[in-house]
Amino acid sequence: MLGAIETARPIVALKDSYLAYPLVNTAHIIGIALLFGAIVPLDLRLIGWRSQSEPVDQLSRILLPLAIAGLLIAVPAGLLLFATDARAYAAAPLFQAKMILIALAIANALALRRFGWSGSEPNRPVAFAGAASILLWLGAITCGRLLGYIE
Amino acid sequence: MRRLHVLALLSLGSIPLTPIAAHHGWAWATGEEFELAGIVKSVRHGNPHGEMQLRATSGEWTVEIGQPWRNAQAGLTAQMLRPGTRLLIHGHRSAKSGERLMKAERIVIAGKSYNLYPDRPS
Repeated sequence: MLGAIETARPIVALKDSYLAYPLVNTAHIIGIALLFGAIVPLDLRLIGWRSQSEPVDQLSRILLPLAIAGLLIAVPAGLLLFATDARAYAAAPLFQAKMILIALAIANALALRRFGWSGSEPNRPVAFAGAASILLWLGAITCGRLLGYIE
Repeated sequence: MRRLHVLALLSLGSIPLTPIAAHHGWAWATGEEFELAGIVKSVRHGNPHGEMQLRATSGEWTVEIGQPWRNAQAGLTAQMLRPGTRLLIHGHRSAKSGERLMKAERIVIAGKSYNLYPDRPS
């Protein structure tokens, strides 16, 4: 099935393109930058940094949609990049680790939303989730970048 | 006077950037020119860069060739680099001792040279 994805006409065109591939790569990076850039201030606030600042839910109203927007840019771009060499990426331990870390980061975010805070000030479990969020996204980004350097 | 200081600092600061920019993507290879002759066993064209397996007398080597744009501007097509083709590759080999990996600067096929990096000596 992965082989079929790789050989699909538009994917081959992307793989052989001059400009399209680097632009999709750029979109992937911009999505990641937006996601990480928006979620880190929120996570730090959850951990308790500058807690005299505005309430968490107000900060979340601004930052969470931007983080989600980043994810919605990074994922499709990432899928396209993956598709150009689907079998090799799927078999690479670094790529598998990256996918697991992303899944855990999203699950952590959903759990936080569901069980975490309801507008009131964060507590210890919420702070841990905030810390986990930073570490998980950092791990995913690192694995993704290392793919270009380590087989 | 202040503007002159800023200009001076900027121009001094940009000097180290030139060798770094010129060395981008070559840091893992040695500085010496290296050449390898062989037959193409398999090749993958495309982004981020093309890669071929070359069967040489010293064994099987991985050769990094250019991204689609670079190969095209050198006059190379996928057909010209198909499995079974005999070629001579000029470039740089991995700095890691014993690693059969090199990056192509210039590819010679049937006596004709195709230069992937015209502004680099090869």
